[in-house]
Amino acid sequence: MENVGALTILLAFCFAVYSVVASVAGKLGRRPFLVLSAERSVYSVWALLTVASSILVYALIHGDFRLAYVAEHSDHAMAPIYKFTAWWGGQEGSLLLWSWLLATYSSVVVFQNRRKFRAMMPYVTAALMTTETFFLILIAFVESPFKVLEAGRGNVVEGVGQGLNPLLQYWTMVIHPPMLYLGYVGFAVPFAFAIASLATKQPGDSWIHTTRRWTLVTWMFQSTGILLGAGWAYAVLGWGGYWGWDPVENASLLPWITATAFLHSVMMQEKKGMMKVWNIVLVSCTFFLCIFGTFLTRSGVVSSVHAFAQSPLGPFFVTFMAIGIAATLYLILSRLDYLKSEAQLESVLSRESSFLFNNLILLASCFAVLWGTLFPVISEAVTGEKISVDAPFFNRVNIPIGLFLLLLTGVGPLIAWRRSSVESLKKSFFWPTVAGLALTAILLGAGVRHFYALVSLALCTFVATSVMLEFFKGASAIRSKSRTNLVIAMVELTHRNTRRYGGYMVHMGIVLLFIGFTGKAFDKDATVEMTPGQTIELGSYHLQLTHTDSGQNENYRWGRLYINVSRNGRDLGTFEPEQRFYIASRQGASNVAIRRGVNEDLYMNFAGGGGQGGKFVLQAYVFPLVSWIWIGYWVVLLGTLICLVPSKSRLLYPRTEVVGIAGKHAKVED
Amino acid sequence: MPKWKTSVIAVLLAAASIAQESSGIMSADTRRVAGNLACLCKACKNTVGDCAMLECSYCRPKREKIAALQAAGKSDQSIIDAVVAEEGREALAVPPTEGFTLLAWTMPYIAIGFGLIVIWMFVRSLRRRPVTTAAAEIDSAVLDRYQDRIDKDTANLD
Repeated sequence: MENVGALTILLAFCFAVYSVVASVAGKLGRRPFLVLSAERSVYSVWALLTVASSILVYALIHGDFRLAYVAEHSDHAMAPIYKFTAWWGGQEGSLLLWSWLLATYSSVVVFQNRRKFRAMMPYVTAALMTTETFFLILIAFVESPFKVLEAGRGNVVEGVGQGLNPLLQYWTMVIHPPMLYLGYVGFAVPFAFAIASLATKQPGDSWIHTTRRWTLVTWMFQSTGILLGAGWAYAVLGWGGYWGWDPVENASLLPWITATAFLHSVMMQEKKGMMKVWNIVLVSCTFFLCIFGTFLTRSGVVSSVHAFAQSPLGPFFVTFMAIGIAATLYLILSRLDYLKSEAQLESVLSRESSFLFNNLILLASCFAVLWGTLFPVISEAVTGEKISVDAPFFNRVNIPIGLFLLLLTGVGPLIAWRRSSVESLKKSFFWPTVAGLALTAILLGAGVRHFYALVSLALCTFVATSVMLEFFKGASAIRSKSRTNLVIAMVELTHRNTRRYGGYMVHMGIVLLFIGFTGKAFDKDATVEMTPGQTIELGSYHLQLTHTDSGQNENYRWGRLYINVSRNGRDLGTFEPEQRFYIASRQGASNVAIRRGVNEDLYMNFAGGGGQGGKFVLQAYVFPLVSWIWIGYWVVLLGTLICLVPSKSRLLYPRTEVVGIAGKHAKVED
Repeated sequence: MPKWKTSVIAVLLAAASIAQESSGIMSADTRRVAGNLACLCKACKNTVGDCAMLECSYCRPKREKIAALQAAGKSDQSIIDAVVAEEGREALAVPPTEGFTLLAWTMPYIAIGFGLIVIWMFVRSLRRRPVTTAAAEIDSAVLDRYQDRIDKDTANLD
């Protein structure tokens, strides 16, 4: 089977190379059948990689320990779902997943556009399959998932493997990596269209309209992947952190930030024909940051808890990125004449300006994260001295930038397109400002003195009020016309312009996320050695260790504490934090107990067994407002899905035409 | 006694023996100083004060050392200096604000400043377009018609 698997990868590589050559040659030589055969090759690549992936998954589930990959990442004792997730638990398998997802996306793109964009599609195919070729080189020639152990060559193999890392044996880990990969890989599609639009000298609107939805879907997957990772860290690592500024975490955030900037600036191109160069640059940055993130995870260039083992992949990634960036820059510079703005900026006090600032701050935040991530490497290269850049640095630099972004989230939608008067701004900002200041006064009166927490919560109130007023004003107008209730009017309003009101909902989700982040300023914790019967107080909670227990199953041994929790005399039940020791991988892991609440979480970790006098170590934390992070994610998801729904009122209006500037009279669909 | 129970007891006893000397629990004073030092175990990006791994091979001895130096009456800064003298500036959780490492702190803000200049130049270039010159040559009735249309078109924009 492993020979068939390796052969299918090799064949997929050949088809991908053929697809690149045939699509470009077919386009340049005006031979449509060659272009068509290149597109059929994309389907073949997908089919072959599906076979290869199926063989690997079959081997993982059935425990074919002759394969090195299976022996290193699977074990008989693991639950079937974790055997399946071992597909992306290691370097080789995750590269195969990358390739398979890219082939899937490419097939969907080719199928969707089989009758559209015929001029651009050969280049789209070529760009996608060039990326595919790169990843197939890695799994065909450098890190094959079908390597056979020596024992497999005619010798009897012990029926055990090393098992999957215990930290990965958690339900969010089943979907977190595929979601992130769907995000990473998906950004290849808008990039391919951008390259095609440059190659065909059509840098107008068509590629923007085609790829906006792709970008939004991909952005949604990336957001989901990041939040699932945060949820996993919170529930599994035992210290209650959801973001550690680890290089690999940062690598997932970088393309998300540039994609967010693109989703905003793309509106400028759609509505005003502006920022064409900038949009191409943003899409390209997003794609190359995805590749860069994959490079960081796999090259070992920076130390990270998430990184795969040191591997020889680094130079391959550097070469691919260098060639790709050089080619993209050449294309952009050679097409500058086609990328000129069709409109002018009429006023600094305008929605257009707010988008410019939004993009600047998003990019600054992206740069700050990238700079902090790479600074230890840069410092060592320049001065020869190793330097640590840890969480406190990222927090100090990014909190002010993040708060300014939050402010813009509220300010942007209140400013009109083209120009706003100071009077109209005063009117728009009045109630949100009053609400923000009122909350600040209440918090100060309640004794809150944490500066950033005060600013953050005031800004959250400002943005939430501005968003709610937008909904309220629109819904009130509909209600007065159609004599319906406010809720139905709001649904109707949202349905009439899903992009606008879905976007507002995403902003509301961001506000909720910030509320959750702000709670970090008020964390409480205690680490104590306890014996059964002993009690501790943490905030308003009363925790008593009633008894302990231990046991074993096929996969791991466990020790468990039984903590009875009460608050203000009210019994909240018994919680069971657990410590596990996985037999195959010989690694320990925590299974924390969390009492989740809207206002705060009580988080308990069994940190160590025994001690002098048979004491057990309990780490207990109170995390205020942390649940709002997960609630905020669901609101962001809902808002994004609403943005993807076609608007009920398909408003067609011509782009603002400026007298005296030659430009097409483009129709823009909102 | 079943074999698995023996194994569990062995694991718990092993953990207990590791925890004999100290549970790794910090006082507030120790945590204050430890918050300035990076955990160099390579398994997290936390400080010695925040690292939640109770038996972290790096943080545990560091915390004990900090506590011992505090007991000997050393100031916070002298303890940090002692750790840096022993392990280099990598032991600091954030880059020092001097020499080359000052760039770590300033570059994000330099980037924002650079971005503002670029925006200013971009806005200026867009506002300099010879739009008004061209418009002046157009018949006023045509111009009014366009103006009406622009107002109508943009009235429904987001």
